[in-house]
Amino acid sequence: MRITAFTQLITVLAVTAWVFLLPISAVATILVLELALLLYIKHDRLTMAAIGALTVFTGMMILLQLLFGSPLKVSLAGGLRMFVMTTAFLCLLAATKIQDIAQALVEKFRLPCEYAFMLTTALRFVPDFLTDSATTLDAQSCRGYSNRGNIFKRLYAYLAVVKPLVMRAVAKSDTLALSMELKGFGANTYQNMCPQKLGVADYMVLLIVIVLSAYPLWSKYL
Amino acid sequence: MSEAAIKFEKFYYGYINGNVVLHNVNLEISKGSFTVISGPSGAGKTTLCKSMVGIIPYYYGGRYAGDVEVLGESTKGKRVSDLSMRVGLMLDDYESQLVSLTAGEEVAFSLLNHGFAPEEVATRTKQALADVGLPGRENYQLDELSGGQRQRLLLASVLAVHPEVLVLDEPVSAMDPDGAHALYKLLYKIYKEYHMTVIVVEHNINFLLPYATNMIVMNKGEVAAQGTFEEAAAIAYEIPELRQNLPELWQVKLALENRFGITLGAWRNEEEALKELQEKFVGGGCDD
Amino acid sequence: MIEAKAVNFAYHRGEPVLNDISCKIKDGEFVALLGHNGSGKTTLSRLFMALLHPRSGDVFVGGNNIADLEPADLAHQVGYVFQNPDLQILEDTVFEEVAYGPRCKNKSENKVKEQVEAALAAMGLAELSDAYPRTLSFGQKRRLGVAAALALNPQTLILDEITNGQDEQEKNNMMQYLEKLNQEKGITIILITHDMNIARQYTQRALVLHNGDLVFDGATADLYDGKSELSEWGLKQPIIATLSATFGVEAQNAKEFCEKLYLKEGVAQ
Repeated sequence: MRITAFTQLITVLAVTAWVFLLPISAVATILVLELALLLYIKHDRLTMAAIGALTVFTGMMILLQLLFGSPLKVSLAGGLRMFVMTTAFLCLLAATKIQDIAQALVEKFRLPCEYAFMLTTALRFVPDFLTDSATTLDAQSCRGYSNRGNIFKRLYAYLAVVKPLVMRAVAKSDTLALSMELKGFGANTYQNMCPQKLGVADYMVLLIVIVLSAYPLWSKYL
Repeated sequence: MSEAAIKFEKFYYGYINGNVVLHNVNLEISKGSFTVISGPSGAGKTTLCKSMVGIIPYYYGGRYAGDVEVLGESTKGKRVSDLSMRVGLMLDDYESQLVSLTAGEEVAFSLLNHGFAPEEVATRTKQALADVGLPGRENYQLDELSGGQRQRLLLASVLAVHPEVLVLDEPVSAMDPDGAHALYKLLYKIYKEYHMTVIVVEHNINFLLPYATNMIVMNKGEVAAQGTFEEAAAIAYEIPELRQNLPELWQVKLALENRFGITLGAWRNEEEALKELQEKFVGGGCDD
Repeated sequence: MIEAKAVNFAYHRGEPVLNDISCKIKDGEFVALLGHNGSGKTTLSRLFMALLHPRSGDVFVGGNNIADLEPADLAHQVGYVFQNPDLQILEDTVFEEVAYGPRCKNKSENKVKEQVEAALAAMGLAELSDAYPRTLSFGQKRRLGVAAALALNPQTLILDEITNGQDEQEKNNMMQYLEKLNQEKGITIILITHDMNIARQYTQRALVLHNGDLVFDGATADLYDGKSELSEWGLKQPIIATLSATFGVEAQNAKEFCEKLYLKEGVAQ
């Protein structure tokens, strides 16, 4: 069953709305479905790490709310909502290629092509920057910056490396912009790609989304 | 019309916030030639390359005079992306020229942007990847490719538009000698197969000795020597600061020719040189 | 002194990169570390800086085992200069950049100034003290990397492909600075390089790695006498070395070689 990036985007946006529209039991069900889906699509270490990180982050949010005096139920509900929303995006990223998401954003959501392409560019250069930052951190160490110490000291070391990396990013972006120009990047880039046609599966999913989104209406009258 | 692939006429250029980097450049690169551009750092070689696709002076801005003609037409008033369909440019920071996430997308990028039909794009992508020794790798992610493979991918993406001229700016500066030899061997194969005009900026001319038909030597923004490889090498030899940039075999050849007033062969490799040297010379020191 | 004793190394769950390497580099030596791509030479140099630790065997720097050490502990004994100068630039002026190391070691400002100025002078960058590092030429940036390592007054400098990508003038320029450091200040230089010419002209000792094994450890002159198995190790004899060996003369460059040749009897002029 293949659904296009567009349908997936719509579904994710709908889920974001549903966490506020639907009762908590429904939201919890959605979470279970999402996690099942996510692990079905991709059960590698990176995905598990991402879920783990989100869990920790949600836990922190709940604690924060409790600290500010919210009752337990409200804090938990708030945490659950946030978890469902972020997991929805995680599902999107796991299920679709970023290039398709970018194309859908340009085709159907009318995002300017430069912004959409930034998604691809970011993904393209992140691994390179991670490698480069490793070298810069090594260079720091070799000049006498000690890595011993607590987690905060280590984080501080990363901060010191941010500036050289940003400078490098700026220099690289010049060449990148030039390359894009040489290759004729522009509005036509996305126009000339094979358009993503909506199929039967897409329409089915979109129908379900519309029905579920109308919950406030039919819950009142049924 | 002229047989020149690239022609510079009284060309001067200065960057917006900088000095004039090219002075009165007059040169012609003929179609079908394999030209090496050499010279010390800062001589203007990269600027020269960028002028061949109109990046300089039109995309960057700055002060200029004179004209650059590519395949018979001036670069003035042309879009950089149109010129790059006929003159493929590979800059030395090749990492930043790779913009896509997979090999196939990278090669297809220019083609799609210029409105080629999807079937044509697929065919050309397949051919280009095969030509550079990466057959069937359309779906490879960029980080699954090694540095040398990425560079060949860039070459494939440049070749896919079927340019008539290829310009490479220091393509092997970060490579080990084996990688460099392999790349240039590939380049020569493509040059012969597709009857292209190839222009390479390279410090270490030793790599290109078997292949170069012509040479241009730049120095301080001016053309110090141009012509066939033999002609340009002889001129460059007479200029002391440029002599050390010549391949050692030719430094030897020209030194011996000067000293003994003889003519030696136009050696393109060590074997040729050794053979002739052993026929004509003995070692043992000299007080000449 | 830097010593490796039966060192073995492999990256996580990977193929072995270094097999049973043992070598000793004494103070004041000028050593070339050679090998084909993937031979393990960069890995070995990183062990010398405690950027990596051996799977088995020991590495000693200045008599201390590096097993519990990190690079910062060795910074005052060993300076490591990476191949890409742009990735090592941490500060906004040349002075600050070179001062980074001494400041990490909490030296007084006076001492810092002294050490920075000495390092800049040694690498010919004294006039560029206030310059923004990114405006420097490639060759100058490379020298800046060396100056930054030098500021901590290490006994040893390890340089990863320091002449790669430079024209002949810049290469010779850099090597002359390094030669001066070695001869006048007794600094040990470990040069990781692909450039056989540079290795032959400037180094006295060579270590050759091939597929993780140490296949040659001796005088550079012996490596290039035409008798060793350079091609088996994935390396190429420099042209002048081949010519010199063929004609039985000694020459470091084309000029010297030509001066030692005679025309044979009866060769037409």
